[in-house]
Amino acid sequence: MLGRFFESLYNKVFVNIVVNGSTTDVYIEIHAQRGAVENVEDSFNTTKMNKEMLEFITSYTEESPFFYISVLDMSPSQGAIPTCSKNRLSYYYDISASEYKCHDEKWAYYTSKSDLYDIERNYKDIGVDFVFSPFSVLANFFKDKIDTHLAMYILIQEEFLSLSVFDNSKLLFSQHLNMEHIHENEDLLMYDNDEDLDLEDGIDLEDIDVDDGDNSMDDFGDIEDLDSLEEIEEFSDNKDVEEEFYHEEEEALTDSNEDTFNDDYQRFTLIQSSVNHFYKDDKYESKFIENVYVADCVGISSDLKRYLEEEMFLNVYVRHVELAAEVSELAILEVSS
Amino acid sequence: MKYSYITPRKKSAFTTEIQLLILFFSITLGMLFITYLFLLFKDYSFVEDMNDMALTQSELSVEVSQMKEQIKFIEKENLLAQKIYTQNTVLKDSITNLFDLVPQRITLSEAKLLENGLILYGMTPNKDVYNFMLQAPLRSIFHRTYSSFHPADNGWLRFVSTNYIDEELSLTEEIESED
Repeated sequence: MLGRFFESLYNKVFVNIVVNGSTTDVYIEIHAQRGAVENVEDSFNTTKMNKEMLEFITSYTEESPFFYISVLDMSPSQGAIPTCSKNRLSYYYDISASEYKCHDEKWAYYTSKSDLYDIERNYKDIGVDFVFSPFSVLANFFKDKIDTHLAMYILIQEEFLSLSVFDNSKLLFSQHLNMEHIHENEDLLMYDNDEDLDLEDGIDLEDIDVDDGDNSMDDFGDIEDLDSLEEIEEFSDNKDVEEEFYHEEEEALTDSNEDTFNDDYQRFTLIQSSVNHFYKDDKYESKFIENVYVADCVGISSDLKRYLEEEMFLNVYVRHVELAAEVSELAILEVSS
Repeated sequence: MKYSYITPRKKSAFTTEIQLLILFFSITLGMLFITYLFLLFKDYSFVEDMNDMALTQSELSVEVSQMKEQIKFIEKENLLAQKIYTQNTVLKDSITNLFDLVPQRITLSEAKLLENGLILYGMTPNKDVYNFMLQAPLRSIFHRTYSSFHPADNGWLRFVSTNYIDEELSLTEEIESED
């Protein structure tokens, strides 16, 4: 009783840490009884906790004993499984060395235990209260779509792609893809094609043929007729106004940066191979994907959207997402539950 | 719904600073309360002492009054003792004088001192010796003197002289002498 009274007197400070490539974004949201009163954001050129970041965080956390440190899990050994049944988990993934959590008793997400310990060790100076999976962020961000649509949902980060396919809130397939791994090995995970991709020279859309990719699009049926954008647009009749607007904005930007172009192509190939995996692997209940919702937190170019639309014949809807703010929202949901 | 892999650390409003503050105020309040209790006790003790002192004072005043009465009584006793001493002295002198009064020719065999009188038993060669040499001074001392004789075997006379001093007369005499 007395504790609750004191709690109501203090502000709640939500510190959200997201490692974004070689930098770390720290987003701090301060909540009073009446709601959010302040939010600040800063970026640090480090992936570990350093003195500068510690001082920045401490300057806010020392204002209130009710502060919550949330970290977005960046473990490469994480994913989501389309079941929550303990007996069925191992059918999809060996979770003996992983920590898993059920989402709404429908599906589960997991991560490596050692990576969790690494996170706790890395932030031991301030401690960690929450470690969230990108799949939780994705599910929460597209909550309005997941419950009623069959679609693919992708969270695009600097070095990771969190991809999942939901059919009316039922998870069908999921994969966490590491772009850094691709950079290092010059190899495409889950991509069955032996064809070498010359990433250094970039990709010209003119060179991309629908028949590329080990005939992976054969499963889509005879789609050669759909070679004009006008016809593709027919799939997009129900696009959200917000996402259309975002699309127009993206096109207006001069995103001719070569690195961005290469990254987007890598993303495209990862998505393509992942979808191929989804269709071919018998473990997953295969359903034809028509729509893809992209949560973009790095500022992807319009090329990726175009690849997806032209190569995979998907209706692509892109929403920009402030990842740290979404993590903060999850932390607030956790605390208020 | 829970989203996080880990559970958050327990948060408490009672931070180290708050705990120190509460401790400080608790100690201060505790000391104030102890001081208040001490003062209450001292006040109670003071009232008790005051009551005891009042009781002692009343007892002492009673004792003082008793002692004053005792002093008065002792003073009276002293006066009485002095009076008795004086009377005894006077009596001793009287007896000495009495025996000095008895002439050598008369032999006293017994003398009884009464409250207000004297009875003498003795032998006299004859009545004249007795009348002139003993009765005359006895008459000057006592108000009433009675003598009786009866002959002894050796021819002398045994006598009994009974002498009384009347109190009223003696008092009148004393008053007259004081005046």
